[in-house]
Formats: sequence, structure tokens, C-alpha cells
Amino acid sequence: MKVFKRAKLEKVLDKLSASYEVHVPMKRGAQSGFFDYRTYNADFDELVLDVLNVLKPPKEAVFPQTEKMYSFKQEGQDVIIDKVYENEDKRIVFGMRSCDLMAISCLDDVFLTRGYVDTFYKKRRDNTIFVANACYSPGRQCFCDSMGVNPVEPELADVVLREYNEGYVWEIKTEKGEEITALIADLLEEKDVNLPEPKGCTLKVDYEGVDKKLKGMFEHPMWERFSEPCQTCGICTYTCPTCHCFDIQVKAWGEEGYRFRCWDSCMYREYTQMAGGHNPRETAKERFRNRFLHKLEFFNERYGKPLCTGCGRCIFVCPSGVSIVKIIEEIKGA
Amino acid sequence: MKEITAKIQETAARLLTEGRVDIFIGWQKGEFGYNTKPFFAHSPEEADKLVFDEYSIHNLSNALLKFRDGHQKIGIVVKGCDSRGIVRLLEDNQFKRERLYIVGVCCPGMKDPLKKMYQDSGFAVQVNGDAELADKCRYCIQPNPVIYDELIGEKREPRLPEDRFKEVKELETKSYDERYQFFEQVLSTCIRCYACRQACVACNCRTCIFDETRPQWVGRETSISDNMMYHLVRAFHMAGRCVECGECERVCPVGIPLMLINRKLIKDVGEFFGPYEAGMEYKEGAKPPLSVYREDDPDDFI
Repeated sequence: MKVFKRAKLEKVLDKLSASYEVHVPMKRGAQSGFFDYRTYNADFDELVLDVLNVLKPPKEAVFPQTEKMYSFKQEGQDVIIDKVYENEDKRIVFGMRSCDLMAISCLDDVFLTRGYVDTFYKKRRDNTIFVANACYSPGRQCFCDSMGVNPVEPELADVVLREYNEGYVWEIKTEKGEEITALIADLLEEKDVNLPEPKGCTLKVDYEGVDKKLKGMFEHPMWERFSEPCQTCGICTYTCPTCHCFDIQVKAWGEEGYRFRCWDSCMYREYTQMAGGHNPRETAKERFRNRFLHKLEFFNERYGKPLCTGCGRCIFVCPSGVSIVKIIEEIKGA
Repeated sequence: MKEITAKIQETAARLLTEGRVDIFIGWQKGEFGYNTKPFFAHSPEEADKLVFDEYSIHNLSNALLKFRDGHQKIGIVVKGCDSRGIVRLLEDNQFKRERLYIVGVCCPGMKDPLKKMYQDSGFAVQVNGDAELADKCRYCIQPNPVIYDELIGEKREPRLPEDRFKEVKELETKSYDERYQFFEQVLSTCIRCYACRQACVACNCRTCIFDETRPQWVGRETSISDNMMYHLVRAFHMAGRCVECGECERVCPVGIPLMLINRKLIKDVGEFFGPYEAGMEYKEGAKPPLSVYREDDPDDFI
């Protein structure tokens, strides 16, 4: 096995950062998320590769919250597209968990398949390498293994890290993985190590058949009852690794401006606001129902997997205590 | 707490049975034991699920907004700060007093279930402060309900730190540049999830300015300028209206010190137009500061 000692972690990141933008899990003040290692400041930031996960999901590496698309200006009667902002920076997302990688696989389905390729996403995606971090001890609110995710065998990973008592196993999975291995070859050593026993999730939920059952539950009274505490904020959608709704907007001054896209949330009123003033999802009930139907029914219908990877973030961030696990249980029992 | 729970259950069951209320809003236990959450009882049988425990922190008055266009009569449990939220809604003409049956509970101070959930998640999250007492309760100026139909428990003393505005004063002494840097730093982290707005009982506009599209007053980019615009406008709208329930700061997933901003407004409103504390009593027809327009107003600040 190729391994590197824990004390060499920063050296590994330094080396990779020389050629790539390396997004690593960090605690930065009150935030936690994947931040560019080049911005790491030991006085303020804390590397948290050994911690279960970070609050802000790594989807931002391929699908940023705000992304400039193109700028334009008016010349006489014509509008000229000045510049198209396709991001081709080479980056590594370092230390992603299986749940968040499965989420990237969901984003791939949306942005790259079924006849339409989103070029902004594709450019970022093609230039992104994933170094996963196998998860041997899921947290109390994790339930990825109920949602078809294997916490210790991450999908899409180019390299898999496996934490052992002295450091990390570096397991190469793809050609891209080989490429970055070359950059840190002198920091790796060959060694057989004992890996921890995978613990699996303690929180379990039975998703089997939920998608089919939901087909007949659009008018079920559970949506009214379960949405009662929901305040329709967007915390669940913005901390969700799979949520991918966006809006395209414009900022313009006089004769020039730019278009950008930014995350949107189905929990917001504005999301379904129609030009004539009508809103088909006026209250929490409709928005709440749509969110769960999309995650558990519609996405599965189209792509053959749920749009929830069991990362557990929405469960612990919800100010009103809404739990997707409870919702799935309720659907099963309905 | 058990006694309070029993009394709440009893009252709720009675009101629902007698038809005095159609819905009774309180709390129920969550699946992890500590993640107590809002609960809406619709029948006397459901009243058994109601609890009042050390995690009953949510300001439920905000939930009334869901029913403002209906005719349902609503029973609701409020702590001191929550009751000020009810006054907020009454003063703002968002709810009719006769539709409410208010069960007031003198509040011993709460723990924050959200904080406990974050801690328990195993995720790398920063959880500041005391696990025993929620941050917002450290600044409690009114543990006792200010409006109620029924009161449970003995009145309690406020739990104020020595100087409620200590942090505000510290910030005030800083230079313009230092203050700008400070706000730039804390507001740049905003993810615009609008949880602060949604949790706020004073944010009761039917169409929020941030949801307006024609024209769009505030951009949707998570850039420092759009984020600052969001927080500045929200601050303006809170002046003289914030009831200091602390929910905005509690629910913020990136730890923006929103109550520092709100306390600055409370201090200023108190100094310029006060003494005044928003939502401390309900007098029909009362006009709180900044809610009236007079032609002879000096308005020399414009």
C-alpha cells in the first residue's frame, strides 16, 4: 500500500497546490467548508481532514453558488458578447466523503446527461480531480448506507485516502489519480497497514419502494402536517450536496453588464413566482412537498437513484427540526 | 418542566375539546431526545404530544404568520421573548388578538437544540458559548410573558449581563475602517439562505423587498456588495422593531453576529427616541418609534 504519514499532510497539500487549486476541508471562523489551500492561514483556519465532514458541501468546486457566465455590451443596434467565463482552472477536491461524491454523481446526471451538456459545469468538472476520504466512522445523523452509498468505497474517486493510526493510505483509482500521485511520489512510502473496521451508519432508513409509493401520495395529508414547522428558509437546500437548482440573472449598467447564475432554492417564494403574479407553490406545504418529491421520487424516476445521499446535513441544520429520515419513514408507513 | 408540560397539555386538550381553538402551537420531543421542535396540535388527542423542556427555544410567534389570512383560532405557548413577538404581530396589524389564546410560560432560560445537533453531528462546526444556556438567553431582558391569557410558573428575574451593550460599545469605539473590515469579514460568509429573515417575527412583510423582482432591489450574488445590501436593508427594517428574541443569530448556519447589529439598533433607538423597548407591552393604537410620520418632524439627518 502507498501511504503517507500524518505529519506530511501539509507537505502533500503544498506540493499539490503548486500545480492545482486544492480544495480542502477547513474550519474558518464560524464556517466550515472546502476552501482553497492557498488561502489557508494557520492563525485563523484549521484543517479538518480527520473530522467527519464540513458543513458547506464540496459541490461548490464544480457548481459555485455564484458563477459569472458572460459579459456583454451594446454597440449601436447590436449586443456583443464580450467574454464567456468558462472556468478551466485545474483543481483537486481533497478529502471528500462518499456521500458528497455520490452527490457529484447526481450533479453529473443533471448537467451532463440526457441530451444537454452544461458547458460551464463540464469545464469545471473535467478539470477537477477527486481525492476521497473513506469514512470508517459515520456520525450520528449520517445514513448514507441506507441511500445506496458505500462510505468506504467512494464512487468517482480518482484517489481514495484511508485514514489509519499514523497517517493515510493513498489508493489510486484512475489515470488522473496517477497524474497527481507523480507530484507527491517522494512523500509516499510502501507499507502494509491495518485499516480500521468500518462501523457503518447507526441511523438507518428503508428507502426501498419509496419512489414508487410516492407516485400516489401527492395529495397525502402528511405534507400539510410535516410542513407545519418548516419556515421555508434555504438552509437545507444550500447545505445539501445534491441540490442544484439555480437561477440565471443579469447585472447591467448603462450599455454593459454580465449574466451570472446563482443557487436558487425551491423553499423560496420567488422560485416559482410567475410573471402574471400567480404562484403555484404559495405556502410551505407545496414547497416542502416538492423538495421531498424531487429528492425521493422524480429524480429517481429520471436517473435511477435518489437525490439524497444520506450526508445528514439537512437533519442537523434545520432550525425547525425537519428530518428527511422521518419523512421517509412516514411515507413507508403511510 | 414536567409540571409545565402537564399544564400545557391540559390547557391544550381543554381548548381543543371546547372548540376554543382549532390549532394549538407548542413543542414536541425530537427523535434524538434533545432536538425539541415546534408542534401543531389539531385535536385533543394530539395534545399529549406537547412538551415543554429545556430545549423549547423556538420563538413560535413567527408560526402565526402561516395563519394570518385564515380564520382559525389559535392557542400558542410563549416564553417572555416570544410574547414580545406576539406584541410585534399585533402592533403590525398582522393578527387579531381575539383569534389567539396565549399560554404564557415564565422562562427559566433555554438550551439550544440546534447547537446540540451541530455538536452531535460529528461535523467540523464551530459551536461557541455555553452548552448549558443558549447565547440568546444570556441577554434575556424579559423572561416573563408580557401578554397572555393564562400564565404558568412563577415570575423570574431577567438574566442580563452587567452591560447589555458591551459588545456594541466596543464596536462603536473602533475606527470607520476597522468597522468596515469587521462587517466585510462577517458578512462575506453569508450564504443568503434567508434563515434569519424566515425565523424573524418582525419580518412579516407579505412580499419581502429581497423577493421583489420588478424592480429587483437587491442582487442575488453572494458577493460582498449584495450581501451587505441584504444585511443593511434588513437592519434598517429592524430598527425599533426587533424584539430581541435572538432567533436570527441562533439559526444562522455561518455564525453571523446578527444580534450585535440588532443590539446596536436597540441602543440607538433607545437613545434617540426612547427610552423604548420594542414589544414590551401591547396597547391598542400605540405608535412605537419610527412607525409614525409627522410633517413637522425635524428629519435633519436626511
